[in-house]
Order: sequence, then structure tokens, then C-alpha cells
Amino acid sequence: MRIDRKSWRDPLLLGTTVPLTLLMIVFFLVPLAMTGILSFQTTKYYRLIWTWDLATWRDVFGKPFYWTIMLRTVAMSLVCVVLSLAIAMPVAYALATRLGSLQRHVTILITFAFLTDAVLKTFGWILVLDKNGVLNWGLSYLGFGPQALNLLFTPSATMIGMVYNLAVYPMFTIYLSLVRIDRDLQLAAYDAGASRLRTFFEVTLPLSKPGLYAGAVLVFVLSLGAFLEPKVMGGGNSPMASELIRQSFETRVNWPLGAALTLVLIVIGALSLAISALVAMRRRRVASPA
Amino acid sequence: MTKDDPNTPNAMKSPLSRRTVLKGMGAGAALAAGGVLPGAFQGARAAQSLNYMCWEGYNAPAILDPFQKANDVQISVDLITDSAGGFAKLAAGAYRAFDLVSSDSPWIARMGPAGIDRFIDDAEFADQYAEFYPQFRAPFAPLQYEGKATGLPTRWGWVGPTVNTKFDKLETWSSYAPVFDPAYRDKICLLDWGDWPIMPLALYAGVNPYKELDKNELDEVRKVLRAAFKNTRAIVGDLAIAQKGLLDGSFRCLIGGGSYCTSSLRLAGHDYVQSIVPEPRNGLKQGIIWMEATGLLDNGNDPTLAKKFLKYIVSPDVAVKLAITEATCNLVPNQKAEALFTPEQKSALQMDYMWHAWDNSLFHTIAPNIDDMLAIWQEELAAR
Repeated sequence: MRIDRKSWRDPLLLGTTVPLTLLMIVFFLVPLAMTGILSFQTTKYYRLIWTWDLATWRDVFGKPFYWTIMLRTVAMSLVCVVLSLAIAMPVAYALATRLGSLQRHVTILITFAFLTDAVLKTFGWILVLDKNGVLNWGLSYLGFGPQALNLLFTPSATMIGMVYNLAVYPMFTIYLSLVRIDRDLQLAAYDAGASRLRTFFEVTLPLSKPGLYAGAVLVFVLSLGAFLEPKVMGGGNSPMASELIRQSFETRVNWPLGAALTLVLIVIGALSLAISALVAMRRRRVASPA
Repeated sequence: MTKDDPNTPNAMKSPLSRRTVLKGMGAGAALAAGGVLPGAFQGARAAQSLNYMCWEGYNAPAILDPFQKANDVQISVDLITDSAGGFAKLAAGAYRAFDLVSSDSPWIARMGPAGIDRFIDDAEFADQYAEFYPQFRAPFAPLQYEGKATGLPTRWGWVGPTVNTKFDKLETWSSYAPVFDPAYRDKICLLDWGDWPIMPLALYAGVNPYKELDKNELDEVRKVLRAAFKNTRAIVGDLAIAQKGLLDGSFRCLIGGGSYCTSSLRLAGHDYVQSIVPEPRNGLKQGIIWMEATGLLDNGNDPTLAKKFLKYIVSPDVAVKLAITEATCNLVPNQKAEALFTPEQKSALQMDYMWHAWDNSLFHTIAPNIDDMLAIWQEELAAR
């Protein structure tokens, strides 16, 4: 579509952009603005007091434990990204190159797992990780003694839940990158004497970077907002930002605090995405200096 | 699961003016009230309609259907997920769209002075009060404001240690001391239910949380919460997870739930699970009585039918249905209902213990320093 200086009068352009712009304003900017407004209110006895006050923001910036939780959330999200990619990459690679006729069936199975309600899956982990759960039962059967692992209600349990629920996203993005790789490039590497391992690291892995990057971003953003896993499996140990926000809204009924923390989390997420996008762009420029 | 504060009239001032300012938002809030619009359409099939905001259980078909049929009325329900949220929705203007509300009693109590609920004439409900246990008869203090009542009590229970007697003796929990005992490290579950778990631990610390607290007393609350968190295996918001842990012994005791956690388990056959109230300590009662109530919303419409429903829901046979629901089982204030419960239901509700619990408990209201205590809870939780 040709866009000139008077393009705002172009009916075609207006017809295509105005609805989307309105949707973005109504469903994104307005709620964001309302959240911002809410963060400047105060509460007393569980009640919202309509005023303009910086008290909540002074609390958020003045109390270190909020930032401890925010940093912990970012750290947990980064670990979740690494673990999810480490699991997703071999699965996606096998799916794209090794499974042959089983490929479709395995994809359907993964899709079914993906579509299963996350609440159900997360609660299911309790039966596995609990002191009296399947894992400890299996370990005791192998001679490790009763309750060898005390995983439930720990940060590790939260991480297991997060990785389990989120690893499927990079599986699909990496798979899509892998199936698009020109097979001739890999064959050329073999012809030039490269081993399978070297071909993987010098041809396949670099060419699958878009999928890895997309998967990493997806997992990171979703991890930042993870509240189900810390709530169900964390047991109040090392709480994450979304759990803090949920508590502020639900348990403390301190909506201004919940709103302020939500905005902080959104800014952290947006900054992280912006930084990673900048890094990606810089690398692209370095890779193609012309 | 939150209650009122003793400074209610003052606390009402700002929100009321807020409510006035937000008149225009009222319609939006009413639309957001979920069940209202469907109710409007369904109401076309019945001669009359009622819009009802309530906790889970009050909406059971066994309760609503007979009333709807008998009165040719369609009742549309909007479920409350937290009392404060329900109150905020009504205060923002949605009260115009509803006829009845069932919520935690302090929130009902404050709806009268806030102009959201109608005050009821106790004399008009004399027959209903006459059927109640003496403790709940008019004038029933927790729902009174300047000699007028807002609503009727509908369900109640107590907050105290919930114990699986297969793993522990009840006598051990005649005090909250085991919560802090190293022998119970990683064996306790605190329920993350607003102020419910804070209040009993404050009582154990010798602090009456329902009075105005000074800095020293708030420091004591912080200390006791910190100590409890150190010794606690998990802080859980989900009742099913807590109950599972209690049944399999991975939690020796649940703190902050009480009879609300127990009755449905007991009715399902786990009658070895009990909720008790610890003995008074240093002259301070250690148990807490919670209560739900039902009020009539002051929406400008004729309240005749809503009043009829209010009388209906506290009647003996309906009270039994309200006590025994799919989700939870709770006590009801109607004395006549007691004769209608089966022995199993009575046992599930620990009726033989309820007056002991009542006598050894404080009545749950919104504490003057609740904001401070909840902030302390969150700060200490974040530091775990």
C-alpha cells in the first residue's frame, strides 16, 4: 500500500487502521490509564478512598521487599527461559527431523497437552511432588527411604510447574524455524566434511535462532506474569510478583498497591523486551554490516 | 472474609462521597455485575425478578428453585468472591441493580449506614428472630447501628486450629503454641485468607486485634507472624490443597480456617478431623466467631418480595439446605433447624461443640488496624 503525506484521509487506510486503533485504545490504553489512576488512590479498612496521593508509590519505591520480589521474579523467569529452551530444543529437533511418520501424532499429543487446562495440570503436580506423592513413592521403592524429596511448596516446585506449563511454547516456535531450514545447507555442511554435531551447531542452531528468540520471549513474558504455579505449588515460599499482586488485590484488598505493582511489572516486562529487541537488532547489523 | 471496623461512620464518609461522584459509573457497574443482564431476560418469563449478590451456597438450586416456583419469580445471582469486592461493587452504584445481598456480616452491617442496604424493622421479623438461638435474637448487636438492624444472620462458624486426630491429639491444640514449636516445623499450614489467620496468632501474642493497636502491639503481631512463618510448611490459599494435606498428614494442623475447613470433610466421613477453639490465654479469648448475613438493598424498588425471600432463607428447612451445601457446611442461627439435621449432619457441624466455641471466642469484625496488619503479613511473607 502506498502511503503519502495525506494518507490519514485515505479511506482504505482509515478503514484498516481505525478499528484496530480503537480496539487498542479501549482494551489496552484505557485499562492501563485506569490502573495508573488507581495507583494514586488510597485505602482504609478495605475501602478505596478516592484521592490523589503518592503514598502507594512511596511504599513501592521505599520498601525493599517489593524489589526483592520483582528481582526474584525476573531471575526465576530467566531460569525458566533457559530450562524451557533446553527441553524444547531437542523435542522440536526430534519432531522436525527424526520422528518421520510419527511426527503428526506426536504433534497432536503435544497440542492436546498444551490445550489441557493449566489449573488442572498444575494441581496434578501436587500428587507427584507431595511428601506422600508419586515421586517419593517411587524413590522409596528404589530404596531412597520415605519422603526422600521435599519438593512441594518450594521455589523448585514453582519452577517445575512453570517450565512444565510454558516449555510447549518454544517447542512450537523452534519447530517452525527448524522445518523452514533449507535442507541443502545441511547437506552442504556434510559434503564439506562437517560432523552431525558440527552441522547442528554451525548450521541448524544459528538458523533456528528466530524460533529460539520467539520462544524465549514468550516464556519470559509469561513467566513474569506467572501466578498459578507460585500460588498452587509455592506454598508462600519465595513468592513472585504476580502472587504479590494477587495478594494485594484479593487478600489485602489494597487495589492501589496492586495497581502500582502491576505497572511496575509491566514496565519491567516492556524494558526487558525492548533491551532484547535492541540486542537482536544490533547483532543483525553486526552480522550484515553492508 | 473481612469484617467491619469500629469507626464505621467516619470510615463511611469518603466512600459515600465517592459513590455520589460515581453516579454515572453505577450503570456500568451494574452491567458488570454479570448475572444482572441475563436475569433481565430471564425475568421476562416470570412475573417478577430479583437480583441477588451472594456467597457460594446461597445460590443452590435447592434453595432458589422452590422460592422461584412459589412466587413466580426469576432470581438472578451474582456470586461474591470476596466481601470487600462485593461491597465495592455495590457502593460504586451496582446496589441499584440488586435486591438482596448475602455477605460477611460486618460488610452487611456497614451497608446500612452507607445507604446501600435498608435498615430492617426487627418487629417485622419477630417470627424469624423467635426461631433463632438466643445468641442471635433481636436486637442482634453485630448487625445493629444506632438501634437499627441491617439484615439477618444466615451462617456462622468459628476460627480455630483444624486438626486431624489420626495424627495429633486435640489437647495439643488447646493453645497455638505448637505453631511455634520446632517439633512442628514444616508440619503446619497457614491459610492465606485475608485477616483470618492473622487474628488468632495476634490473640496468641496477647494482642486483641479488634482494638486500636499501638506500635508496640503491631510489633508483637509482626514478631508472632514472623515466628509462625518460620515454622510453617506452607501458606495456602486453596482450601482443597489444605484439606488434602490435612487428610494425608503432611499438615498436622490448619491455622486460620476453623469450622469452614472442617464440616464438609466430616460430612464426607472424615469425622476424625475437628476444629476447636484454644483455651483463653492470659484472660484473652483465643477463638473467633465469623458470621454471614443477608440484607435488603436500598435500590428504590418495592422490597416486598425481597423481604419475603429474606424470611424464606432463614426459615428452618431452607436454613438446613444453606448449612449443607456442595462446597462447604456451616452452622445456621435458626434453632428450629437443628431438629431437621440428621445426626451425621449435626456431627459434621460439630454442634455439640459450637457453644463452647462461641463462649471462648471473640466476634470477628474489621479491626481498626487491619491495613497495618495485612501490610505486615505481606511484608513478612515476602521475606520468606
